[in-house]
Amino acid sequence: MNRIIQSRLLLISGVFLLLQTIILTLSPAVHARSWVVDFRFSPWIAMGVWALVVARADYDISRKLPDADPYLFPAAALISGWGILTIWRLDPIFGARQAVWLGVSVGLLALGTRLRSLDFLRRYKYSLLLCGLLLLAITLVFGTNPSGSGPRLWLGYDELYLQPSEPLKLLLAVFLAAYLADKLPARLRTIHLLYPTIILSGIVILLLVVQRDLGTAAIFTALFTFITYLATGRKRVLLIALILLSLVGVAGYYFVDIVHARMNAWLNPWDDPSGRSYQIIQAVMAIANGGILGTGPGLGSPGLIPVAISDMIYAAIAEESGLLGTLGLLAIISLILSRGLRAALRAPDLYRRILAAGITAYFGIQTILIVGGNIRLLPLTGVTLPFVSYGGSSLLTSFIALLVLIHISNHLDIDPAPLLKPQPYLASGSFLLLGLLACALATGWWSVVRGPDLLTRPDNRRRLIEESYVPRGSLLDTSSTAINVTSGAIGTYSREYKYVDLAPITGYTDSTYGQAGLEASLDEYLRGLKGNPTSMIFWHHLLYGMDPTGLDVRLSIDLYLQSRADEMMISQRGAVVLLNARSGEILVMASHPTFNPNHLTESGARLLTDPDKPLINRATLGQYPTGTVMEPFLDALAVDASANLNEVYESFGFNTPPQIQLPVAPIPTEANPTIQRVSPLQMALAAATLSNHGILPPPRIAMAVRTPVEGWVPLSALGSPMEAIQATAADETALAYLTNDQSYWKHIGQAQENESLVTWFIGGTPPNRQAAPLALVIVLEATNPALADRIGRELLIDAMNP
Amino acid sequence: MTAILVLILRFALAIALYTFLGWVLSILWQEVKQQGELLASQKKPVIKVLAKLESGKEVQQRYSQTEVTIGRDPNCDFPILDEAISAHHARVSFHHSQWWLEDLNSTNGTFIGKSKVSVPVVLIASDEFKCGNTLFTVDMDALSEKLDL
Repeated sequence: MNRIIQSRLLLISGVFLLLQTIILTLSPAVHARSWVVDFRFSPWIAMGVWALVVARADYDISRKLPDADPYLFPAAALISGWGILTIWRLDPIFGARQAVWLGVSVGLLALGTRLRSLDFLRRYKYSLLLCGLLLLAITLVFGTNPSGSGPRLWLGYDELYLQPSEPLKLLLAVFLAAYLADKLPARLRTIHLLYPTIILSGIVILLLVVQRDLGTAAIFTALFTFITYLATGRKRVLLIALILLSLVGVAGYYFVDIVHARMNAWLNPWDDPSGRSYQIIQAVMAIANGGILGTGPGLGSPGLIPVAISDMIYAAIAEESGLLGTLGLLAIISLILSRGLRAALRAPDLYRRILAAGITAYFGIQTILIVGGNIRLLPLTGVTLPFVSYGGSSLLTSFIALLVLIHISNHLDIDPAPLLKPQPYLASGSFLLLGLLACALATGWWSVVRGPDLLTRPDNRRRLIEESYVPRGSLLDTSSTAINVTSGAIGTYSREYKYVDLAPITGYTDSTYGQAGLEASLDEYLRGLKGNPTSMIFWHHLLYGMDPTGLDVRLSIDLYLQSRADEMMISQRGAVVLLNARSGEILVMASHPTFNPNHLTESGARLLTDPDKPLINRATLGQYPTGTVMEPFLDALAVDASANLNEVYESFGFNTPPQIQLPVAPIPTEANPTIQRVSPLQMALAAATLSNHGILPPPRIAMAVRTPVEGWVPLSALGSPMEAIQATAADETALAYLTNDQSYWKHIGQAQENESLVTWFIGGTPPNRQAAPLALVIVLEATNPALADRIGRELLIDAMNP
Repeated sequence: MTAILVLILRFALAIALYTFLGWVLSILWQEVKQQGELLASQKKPVIKVLAKLESGKEVQQRYSQTEVTIGRDPNCDFPILDEAISAHHARVSFHHSQWWLEDLNSTNGTFIGKSKVSVPVVLIASDEFKCGNTLFTVDMDALSEKLDL
């Protein structure tokens, strides 16, 4: 019966892994949304290796150890297969290496079934421990790191690397089991525990001080505690270990840099998301991206997490298999732990009982430590997830430990040894299972509760990867001429900026520099998250793990007038705003100097530090002193320059930031500023009141969005019109400032602050104009009234005679 | 099209994972059920205890429970009025498919023949043991039926 159960469970595991391999093969087609792609066939090698060695091991276990526990091997086989497919999907070269290690490990397990008994482990306990310690000692001297830098925890020869601390965990369990089983029957005195404690302390101190490996040191301490507690049943052991562990932690925190860094990254991850906490934040973002169902194997971006193949493999699995997958993974690990404890309780003698419990504790502790580290339940340590993570030494040790468990479980005919106190076993089992439960809950927290929030973080690079697969909506001018468009083929989509001079206003979307301007403020429409039906967005997220195709947005900008303004502003510093004085639609918004967003990759760093600040949209963010440009407004309110200017500012809306889909300058909070500053946009809105019978219009720049269902849907203004002054006062003022040919009104003012001089031009259509009224503002960061007058005249004449 | 196919495969993948777990759970549950049925189907062990008091009076009791305590205390399963018997003197209990006799730290001890019972000993049909001045004889039904299971 046991053998049938084992074979059937392996068959289900095989089906699971086969499906995963098929999905991995097809995943490039999903990304490209076409059948004409290079399918990913290489994971089939891993699948083949897995099927071959697992079938062989199943056969050997059935023949040699017919009474062994039928759940242990299938559970380990399933998660190791899951691990190798995940590793392969992340990096085929490491996947291939891991496939070799899987072959060796499971092959060794199959060979090991031929062993008659495990007594040799007990007999040579000292020699084995000594060998392990010796290897560790050699590593301290000759250790290397396969990646060339970082902690030197490996012994290397050619391409083969061994991490001696991995087998040492098993050897320590073997030694402690044998030692305690020898000492316990004759009444154990505390003195007997002294000698293994010294050995353990030595290992821990060496690991911590020389190798700077807090994770492994913690595992050794915890393993030692578990085994002595299980064997002796003394609660004192737990207390002592707790003190020891905190001492190790505190010592590590103060004396070992990497431990210090990891502790800080754990306690305050949001302080330094791009530095020390980068790894953990990328991990929780991957878990958040997976959500409940996951993106599907091969369809997420777990490669963004540093060291995803070993330390962070849990997060990688969570992204692609979702909460559903990780809960299954944790359940399978719980199965291994509970069957391991059962094998311990049913063991025919004390030695085998302690050994089985020790191995179970080793699996459990290590799993909780690394999974907890991945989800910020515990500080992140560089240990492996047993059976799953990349790492030959770890995989080999895990499978040898499993072999020992399988051997111990193969004694149904012999009655279990008497158990004096069942309490320690029950307590340890509950502790480990509760730990896994906590991991499951924390994973749920990140993927469901915090998930949506996390994904909007600007350092979520998945958004930018998405943009090369999903076309972003275009920004169009008022006559639907393209300004910013996405071009290229699927997988290589990139943003193209057709009308370069608008860059400070429309902004950019870039993998390094993020988003700015309208590209940032209209992002939800351009990415298709607003304006598309909710069901469609859900369906796209489910199928592709990506947003739907973006929607085009039409702006109020008139590219002809814009180009006229930009031509005249070339090599100037300043801004131009031309708007429809009634509707508030912005026809021209220029900010100079400007930059070319098509070359952001090459010039971005220089632009950020450019003293002329070309990245800043001067029209909305620039704040210029007003000076004599205020004269028409004072006239309109019939006050003179000595009056309380603050009331004038209040009337013309200078004390409230304009509401528009662009970043605007904040209003200074000083109670009574001596020099009031306003942005060109604010000034343009104030000028509009003179041409619009005293009504201050709400500014508008995004006019409509093209939805797939309803076509162009207008976007309403964010603000509402406001009566600034009386209509008659406005009309009279405008007429008073009319030009000689009476075609428009204008006023040129100047202001000075410290060394900087500003020239203002304000103007607009006369109040009796039949067509839409216009208002214009020009700011030059220089003393050049003649130029301001010329630009103003040409722009207004052009705008009035289309 | 590919995405829909892959979506179906992804659901199948989740189903495969949970089939594994579900199947494990169902087998383990069946094991528990079988264990329960096995225990329930076992024939209840029955023991007859005959006490021959010093006065020559004989008392016989039949028990269908797995534990019988003997002593002077009236709360004992088999209370005996004998000055030499402790309040809780000895226990006859059934486990590991056998009846066991164990002394409960009595003042005068429990004896099988001449040897004092210091660790639990197995009792078989018509075994005799002595507590204080009373001689007990046990007799039990054959339990062969349940051994076939």
